[in-house]
Amino acid sequence: MVQLVTGQLGAEGPYWEGLAVGQLVLPRCKGCGAWHWPAVWRCGQCGSWEHEWVEQQLAGTIFSWNRTHLRFAGTEGLPVPFTTLLVELGGSAIRLLGLIEGSEEGLRIGAAVTGRIDRTAYQDTTIPSIRWTLA
Amino acid sequence: MSFDLSGKTAVAGLGYRQYKRGTAPMPERGVLVRAIVDACEDAGFDPADVDGFVSYGDDKNEPVRLMPDLGTKTLNWSAQVWGGGGGGIAGTFGLAAAAILTGQARAVVIFRALAEGNSGRLAAAVMAHHLNDHMVGVGQVAPAQVCAMRAQRMFEYHGVPHSVCEELVRASYYHGSRNLEATSFGKELDLETFRTSRWIAEPFRLFDCSRENDGAGAVLLVSAEHARDLRKPPVKLLSVAQGTTAGWGDLLENDDADLYPTAGFRAIRERLFGQAGLTPQDIDVVQLYENFSAQGVASLIDHGFCTYENVAEVLKFENLIAPSGKLPVNTSGGNLAHGFVHGFVTAIEAVRCLRGESPNPVPGARTSLLAGGPGAPTVSSAIFAIG
Repeated sequence: MVQLVTGQLGAEGPYWEGLAVGQLVLPRCKGCGAWHWPAVWRCGQCGSWEHEWVEQQLAGTIFSWNRTHLRFAGTEGLPVPFTTLLVELGGSAIRLLGLIEGSEEGLRIGAAVTGRIDRTAYQDTTIPSIRWTLA
Repeated sequence: MSFDLSGKTAVAGLGYRQYKRGTAPMPERGVLVRAIVDACEDAGFDPADVDGFVSYGDDKNEPVRLMPDLGTKTLNWSAQVWGGGGGGIAGTFGLAAAAILTGQARAVVIFRALAEGNSGRLAAAVMAHHLNDHMVGVGQVAPAQVCAMRAQRMFEYHGVPHSVCEELVRASYYHGSRNLEATSFGKELDLETFRTSRWIAEPFRLFDCSRENDGAGAVLLVSAEHARDLRKPPVKLLSVAQGTTAGWGDLLENDDADLYPTAGFRAIRERLFGQAGLTPQDIDVVQLYENFSAQGVASLIDHGFCTYENVAEVLKFENLIAPSGKLPVNTSGGNLAHGFVHGFVTAIEAVRCLRGESPNPVPGARTSLLAGGPGAPTVSSAIFAIG
């Protein structure tokens, strides 16, 4: 099991196991086909307890973003200012947070991005997280 | 079965003590006891007869521990609204009214206390409630950042002009500068200072963000009938609603697209106004919990005071200030300019503005709306009336 700093949310375990081996997997209900994020044990729509974890491409469009300037406690592993993106994936339409890398020219809601999995230093450990690049 | 709580309970007493962050003259519980006794003295009510307590936002002062100081005879009701932020602030009135109207308690104190020396920084406490590895991994560790993400979408995608935030912040400081109790007393905020203040998390600059203070607040709620026998004119609770709807709330930023940039109040708006039998046009003054400027704006939109389309026409400085504005907001300065003890000052001022005790009175005000903590996973609001 992947060691998390804050503990697992809901049924999301396989997500972190996926990131640890460089793969993005997300849960889809076997009963009705609905994508669920955050991950659930039970599908609130159809009542199914069965979910499959499906590999997804790290590609989508920017849903929103912010740029942090203040050195908040807990951001020591990142150079300020840093820009965080909320990206809506193509396919599942699940939104995932990530940090932008490379040029920020053309940064706007709706812009296309592609991603990769990296790790962010936090206290005495690292946390798997996504890096987005403007397409 | 339907039960109408409208007008059946009333605020009888208020207590509020506020200090610069980290400078409370005594530990948190001591400040709280002071505020509760203040509220009872305001009402002319013996603190020993308070038999119920309600709080929100993960307050750490368990009511049973207040009993020795207050002389409490019997503790009949203690409860807290879930949630780490200010989303539950108005919901406390619903819990207190529920206890009173079902005979489970007779006199309920609604409270919140914070002293940095005891509870640490509020922002850190709120985040501890919400933090997860998704956020920490991308440096999202503070309420300002979480709210900035939603504000950016409201500005950039929904076309709300950033200038409306300036109008709201200026109105808050205008009122605060005229309030002896306010952190910003004597200090109006000029636009240039606002616009050149340092970035915190874009799109927020320093003055888009609320302060943190040490302090405590207490509101004594009793039945409307009981309130008539007490010292101050009763301010009746006309309605209260808390909760949310599917598609909103602690969803890893996966709220419904339309709801994402809102403050979360669309889910409770109809219940709130329906129970009171009022519309936004009937509200004389608004006490608006604004942790950040954009969330205050989003809250006003959610509550139906304006829309994405007309927000710039409605949220104008002249329109937002007492006594002459059509939509006076945060007449004491609010969280931004009066002070921030987890938003409690907005609840206090929602009553004071009807009693004629506001530092910036709205002449003839009969109804006030308390818009609770915006953007929280569960939100709440309440409407009050006098006379």
